[in-house]
Amino acid sequence: MNATGENIAVFSGVTKIYRRRGFVSTLETTALNGLSFELRAGEITGLLGLNGAGKTTIMKLLTGLLFPTAGSVSVFGLPPADIASKKRIGFLPELPYFYPYSTAASALLYYAGLSGLERPAAEKRLEAVIEKVGLKKHAGKKVSEFSKGMMQRLGIAQAVIHDPELLILDEPVSGLDPLAIHEIRTLISGLNAQRHTVFLSSHSISELEKITDRVLIMVEGRLAKTVSRQDWERARGGLEEIFVQTVKSDGS
Amino acid sequence: MNFFLIAGIIASQTLGENYKNRFFAIFIVFAAVLIYASLLVGVMAVDEEARVLVDSGLALMELIALAYALMAAAGTITREIETKTIYLVFSRPVPKPAYLLGKTAGLYLSCALMLAVMSLIHLSLMALRGFALPVFYFKAVVFIWFKLLIITSTAVFISLFSTSVISTVTITAILWTLGHFTQEAKFLIEKSSGAASWALKATAYFIPNFGLFNARDLGARAAGGPGPVFLFIYIFLWFIVPYLFSLLLFRKKEF
Repeated sequence: MNATGENIAVFSGVTKIYRRRGFVSTLETTALNGLSFELRAGEITGLLGLNGAGKTTIMKLLTGLLFPTAGSVSVFGLPPADIASKKRIGFLPELPYFYPYSTAASALLYYAGLSGLERPAAEKRLEAVIEKVGLKKHAGKKVSEFSKGMMQRLGIAQAVIHDPELLILDEPVSGLDPLAIHEIRTLISGLNAQRHTVFLSSHSISELEKITDRVLIMVEGRLAKTVSRQDWERARGGLEEIFVQTVKSDGS
Repeated sequence: MNFFLIAGIIASQTLGENYKNRFFAIFIVFAAVLIYASLLVGVMAVDEEARVLVDSGLALMELIALAYALMAAAGTITREIETKTIYLVFSRPVPKPAYLLGKTAGLYLSCALMLAVMSLIHLSLMALRGFALPVFYFKAVVFIWFKLLIITSTAVFISLFSTSVISTVTITAILWTLGHFTQEAKFLIEKSSGAASWALKATAYFIPNFGLFNARDLGARAAGGPGPVFLFIYIFLWFIVPYLFSLLLFRKKEF
């Protein structure tokens, strides 16, 4: 576990261009442009931006699902695609998908196995995690029968099953009912209290205000502003006002 | 973590998802109906009923298992990419070679399971008609599986650059068909000359020789056919070459 405040993930001048090859020409879309920031151990950092601002691209670069076109990304001092850094990461993609014929318990055991947990340790973790996310009653149920809220809980469970140091959560409360949002917020805060570093993106400004220590505001693939909790607590209109002003001034 | 342990976990998951999939059951039911219908053909063959029942049963099993193998192999990785289940795999410490190995092994096991179930149906019908088991029966089934191993590895490789499941199935089915005409291809190579001969020879290397695995024909002949070492090396090459090329394509793939 890294010491609190230490940089555990660093983006240095990262540019990501998506290229779609056609018959005649190649279509290029710049998702990120010269992005630099760092994630500090023990913090909850939020990522805020309009659709297409590059939030999901950042998450995928951190987990090694994408490679930067220019610049560098390091996680725990290693490239994100390195197996050693992946062992220390838990990832919840936006709308997590599971194998439809698996049950919640078998899916979690599968992901625990892939994360390197031996069977007895995986079973022990499964019991604790499935209870924590409130799916104990549904452990034997097929994933294809799950509601969206249950899927999201299962998504969080698979992200924490191997007890990672860094949790990367892409829209963890999207489409959930207020009670589920409250429970997931409590869960994330609880994980952070156990010294897990959390990096999450959300469209919900109020959610980010409630649980994050710092928020990165993205505008069209660039980091427009980094706002700390003190900043939005001092500002009139809070984080929402800061966000609106930033997007308006930077996007125009 | 052990490379082969991860590959094993993925293989077991792939097998589980495949046999729980409704397509597996549909293929089995279809096979059962067709194998049962082959009883009628057997009855019409009068004195040769046993031989016809064995031959038509094995041929049907091969065709149905081939159709299943192609459908399963062509979509196994592309489906994971489309449904995004692959995010949860590659955000973990899973080496891409282990993933590919696991997926391929899972498909091999699924084909073996399908053949085993179909054989059971076929043998039950034979027993019902009071026919003895031909000596080459198990060898024929194992050789069908060998053909499926080759075609499955090829289909997985093709699916990584093909634009759709249908195009993968089509290309692989063409290879399968050509693979049964290697004797004719040899004859053409011998008769041709110059550039045409070179082109035919080069093409022949990319087409598996399924004539090596026609156990029904080999069974009809008292002896002959390639030895087990040759067959093992042949199958291994048809596994390892598509696997290595798949890795090349997969190494820098983004999700």
